[in-house]
Amino acid sequence: MELILEGLGEAWRLLTTGDGDIYGITLRTALITGTSTFVALLIGMPVGLGLALARFPGQRGLVALANAGTGTPPVVAGLLVAILLWRSGPLGDLGLIYTPGAIVIAQALIATPIIIAITAAAVMALPPTLHLQVRAMGANQRQYLWLIAREARLPLLVAVMAGFGAVVSEVGASMMVGGNLSGETRVLTTAAVLEVSRGNFGAALALGFILLFFIIAIAAVLTTVQQRARRR
Amino acid sequence: MSDPLIQNPPAEAPALHLQGVRVRRGRRDVLEIPELAVEAGETLAVLGPNGAGKSTLLLTAALLLPVAAGTVALFDEPATARDQVRLRRQTSTVFQEPALLDMTVRRNLETALSLHEVPRAERRARAETWLARLGVAHLAGAMPHTLSGGEARRVSLARAFAIGPRILFLDEPFSALDLETRAELVGDLRALLRDEGTTALLVTHDHSEARLLADRSLVLLDGAPAQLVPTATLFAQPATPEVATFLGYAVVARADLPATITSMVDGHLVAVPPAAVGLLDDSAGYEARVTAVQGAHGQGRLRLALGDAILTAALGVDEIAARQLQPGTVVTVEVDASQLVSWPAAGADGRGAGDTARG
Repeated sequence: MELILEGLGEAWRLLTTGDGDIYGITLRTALITGTSTFVALLIGMPVGLGLALARFPGQRGLVALANAGTGTPPVVAGLLVAILLWRSGPLGDLGLIYTPGAIVIAQALIATPIIIAITAAAVMALPPTLHLQVRAMGANQRQYLWLIAREARLPLLVAVMAGFGAVVSEVGASMMVGGNLSGETRVLTTAAVLEVSRGNFGAALALGFILLFFIIAIAAVLTTVQQRARRR
Repeated sequence: MSDPLIQNPPAEAPALHLQGVRVRRGRRDVLEIPELAVEAGETLAVLGPNGAGKSTLLLTAALLLPVAAGTVALFDEPATARDQVRLRRQTSTVFQEPALLDMTVRRNLETALSLHEVPRAERRARAETWLARLGVAHLAGAMPHTLSGGEARRVSLARAFAIGPRILFLDEPFSALDLETRAELVGDLRALLRDEGTTALLVTHDHSEARLLADRSLVLLDGAPAQLVPTATLFAQPATPEVATFLGYAVVARADLPATITSMVDGHLVAVPPAAVGLLDDSAGYEARVTAVQGAHGQGRLRLALGDAILTAALGVDEIAARQLQPGTVVTVEVDASQLVSWPAAGADGRGAGDTARG
């Protein structure tokens, strides 16, 4: 109990005195997770829409694969990206290993199947008559996709939240491909792991609070957008 | 080769023309239409039992379902893959479910108008005009999930008419509504179709809707046209025993009915419409036994054993209750022989051979 109270006090001190290192880590986390979520959305939403709307052999298999991909362990994604980006690996010449770019790639790999699976499920859950109605109203392919995505906008925001939640909370992939380098690739989760390993529970708790606040703030923004979309 | 049971209008630029159309689902042909033409300004009802291919026909005609063979032409323009969106913009479709988009009622109409490239400045005025014509102007700002079934249908019709379609496709638009709402909507649609002169293809299970709205009616059985004639003719002169059975006639062997009833008809197979069978209060008629009491849409129906035949009589539910009719009750009935339809022989397909006693 004493340890926790000491930790809370330390956390409060770090947060209120404006520790530069902590704020740097927070800003880096926001940039990396924001970028990886954005990349995953760019890939995942069109692929999810395509999987839900197109009819082709093997479609069900791909949906099942995307569903299975939602459970991809971050360390497996990290391992795969590490092998590819390792200096002697196939993409080693890019020099991305132990850079924020490597973390973005690994995190996008984690979030993309989640966004694909939720997008596909959201679009497939729309009433079949709605698809026919939109086409019957004279929509061309672009207008059709836009209106269908609009109809599925509430669950699509869930896809954004789920993708972001997966990347902001993972630690294994970031550690593996980023190396937790101070001032370069250290993010909130990897920093918290490091502080615990050093026995600095106060710093670890402070990082944990920031991480929680960060997640709650993003979720609040997305929920507000979602509720506004529902009323519209 | 023309089919006497399929009466298409003269072939001068019909609004909708299907030729040699075949639609497959999986490995099965689910629709086969040798020829179907709908004249501009005409309302054609498509009737048939569940699974007969009515909705498939509507979706095919509305260019929402690909054909395995044949052509669908709108206003003399055969629909190719490239032209489908442009041609669809000359049509509107109203489905069984109103399928309103998750936006306000007004925006639903404005969105449809924007897809039809109506200038932005005109959209609101047109949307409000059509909402007012359908009696739902006060719902312009409402979200679809707050509407009743009848209101949603009205909005759906307003959206369909707002774009000024040259052809309107209606797929059981009033099903699952209470009788009163349904009756009002059928009346309003009838007036709108007449006022706008819109060509319409109406799929319905409700024979009264077809009678009220359609100039001609097509009966589909097993994915193929069985009879296409003016609506009044269809209900008075079903062309085959199968069509008669679908329309609710009791189709029986002539020998199974008392000879005094069938003396005016020639065939061996006789169809007796429910309206031809009436209950009498005195005993100056035929004795029949009630085998079943049925009812739907506020209309009662009796199944009656008369001689060796089972007939159907249409009867108000109030009368059924007042007479305390139930299976086993013996009643006296009369049969209006002038309404009977007959065919040469049991088992023959009877195509083109239906004769009415009225001659």
